[in-house]
Amino acid sequence: MSDVAKPKNPEDDWKIWLVVNPATWLMPILLATLAIAIAVHWVVFAIGLGWHA
Amino acid sequence: MAEQSLSGLTEQQAKEFHEQFKVTYTAFVGLAALAHLFVIAANPWW
Repeated sequence: MSDVAKPKNPEDDWKIWLVVNPATWLMPILLATLAIAIAVHWVVFAIGLGWHA
Repeated sequence: MAEQSLSGLTEQQAKEFHEQFKVTYTAFVGLAALAHLFVIAANPWW
Protein backbone atom coordinates (compact mmCIF):
# COMPACT_ATOMS: atom_id res chain seq x y z
CA MET A 1 0.00 0.00 0.00
CA SER A 2 2.94 2.33 0.62
CA ASP A 3 3.90 2.44 -3.08
CA VAL A 4 0.62 4.19 -4.01
CA ALA A 5 1.44 7.67 -5.37
CA LYS A 6 0.27 10.50 -3.14
CA PRO A 7 -2.27 12.78 -4.91
CA LYS A 8 -1.28 16.32 -5.74
CA ASN A 9 -4.27 18.62 -5.21
CA PRO A 10 -6.11 20.48 -6.67
CA GLU A 11 -4.82 19.12 -9.97
CA ASP A 12 -5.74 15.54 -8.97
CA ASP A 13 -9.13 16.46 -7.47
CA TRP A 14 -10.97 15.00 -10.48
CA LYS A 15 -9.76 11.53 -9.51
CA ILE A 16 -12.38 11.43 -6.73
CA TRP A 17 -14.88 10.57 -9.50
CA LEU A 18 -12.87 7.47 -10.34
CA VAL A 19 -13.83 6.27 -6.83
CA VAL A 20 -17.20 7.97 -6.18
CA ASN A 21 -19.74 7.58 -8.98
CA PRO A 22 -21.71 10.84 -9.30
CA ALA A 23 -24.62 9.01 -10.93
CA THR A 24 -25.09 7.39 -7.51
CA TRP A 25 -23.69 9.99 -5.13
CA LEU A 26 -24.30 13.49 -6.59
CA MET A 27 -27.79 13.80 -5.09
CA PRO A 28 -26.73 12.49 -1.66
CA ILE A 29 -23.83 15.00 -1.73
CA LEU A 30 -26.21 17.87 -2.63
CA LEU A 31 -28.78 16.76 -0.02
CA ALA A 32 -26.07 16.51 2.67
CA THR A 33 -24.96 20.04 1.78
CA LEU A 34 -28.57 21.23 2.06
CA ALA A 35 -28.93 19.51 5.44
CA ILE A 36 -25.78 21.25 6.71
CA ALA A 37 -27.01 24.63 5.42
CA ILE A 38 -30.38 24.14 7.17
CA ALA A 39 -28.63 23.10 10.38
CA VAL A 40 -26.36 26.16 10.31
CA HIS A 41 -29.30 28.51 9.69
CA TRP A 42 -31.25 26.80 12.48
CA VAL A 43 -28.42 27.38 14.97
CA VAL A 44 -27.86 30.97 13.86
CA PHE A 45 -31.54 31.78 14.34
CA ALA A 46 -31.68 29.77 17.57
CA ILE A 47 -28.87 31.79 19.15
CA GLY A 48 -30.75 34.96 18.36
CA LEU A 49 -28.88 36.20 15.29
CA GLY A 50 -32.06 36.12 13.21
CA TRP A 51 -33.64 38.95 11.24
CA HIS A 52 -34.00 41.35 14.17
CA ALA A 53 -30.70 40.56 15.97
CA MET B 1 -11.66 -6.92 -18.76
CA ALA B 2 -9.96 -3.54 -19.32
CA GLU B 3 -8.62 -1.55 -16.32
CA GLN B 4 -11.85 -0.15 -14.78
CA SER B 5 -12.06 2.47 -12.03
CA LEU B 6 -13.82 1.79 -8.74
CA SER B 7 -16.67 4.08 -9.76
CA GLY B 8 -16.84 2.75 -13.30
CA LEU B 9 -16.17 6.17 -14.80
CA THR B 10 -13.43 6.55 -17.37
CA GLU B 11 -10.71 9.17 -16.88
CA GLN B 12 -12.33 11.34 -19.55
CA GLN B 13 -15.79 11.10 -17.92
CA ALA B 14 -14.36 11.91 -14.49
CA LYS B 15 -12.53 14.97 -15.81
CA GLU B 16 -15.60 16.10 -17.77
CA PHE B 17 -17.88 15.77 -14.72
CA HIS B 18 -15.35 17.50 -12.47
CA GLU B 19 -15.29 20.55 -14.76
CA GLN B 20 -19.05 20.99 -14.30
CA PHE B 21 -18.81 20.23 -10.59
CA LYS B 22 -16.24 23.03 -10.18
CA VAL B 23 -18.48 25.51 -12.04
CA THR B 24 -21.52 24.71 -9.90
CA TYR B 25 -19.52 24.70 -6.68
CA THR B 26 -17.93 28.06 -7.52
CA ALA B 27 -21.39 29.53 -8.15
CA PHE B 28 -22.57 28.14 -4.80
CA VAL B 29 -19.62 29.69 -2.93
CA GLY B 30 -20.09 32.98 -4.79
CA LEU B 31 -23.77 33.21 -3.90
CA ALA B 32 -23.06 32.28 -0.27
CA ALA B 33 -20.36 34.95 -0.07
CA LEU B 34 -22.77 37.51 -1.54
CA ALA B 35 -25.45 36.54 0.98
CA HIS B 36 -22.96 36.93 3.82
CA LEU B 37 -21.97 40.40 2.52
CA PHE B 38 -25.66 41.41 2.53
CA VAL B 39 -26.01 40.23 6.13
CA ILE B 40 -22.83 42.07 7.12
CA ALA B 41 -24.10 45.23 5.42
CA ALA B 42 -27.55 44.98 7.01
CA ASN B 43 -26.82 43.47 10.37
CA PRO B 44 -23.23 42.51 11.34
CA TRP B 45 -23.12 39.70 13.85
CA TRP B 46 -20.13 41.05 15.80
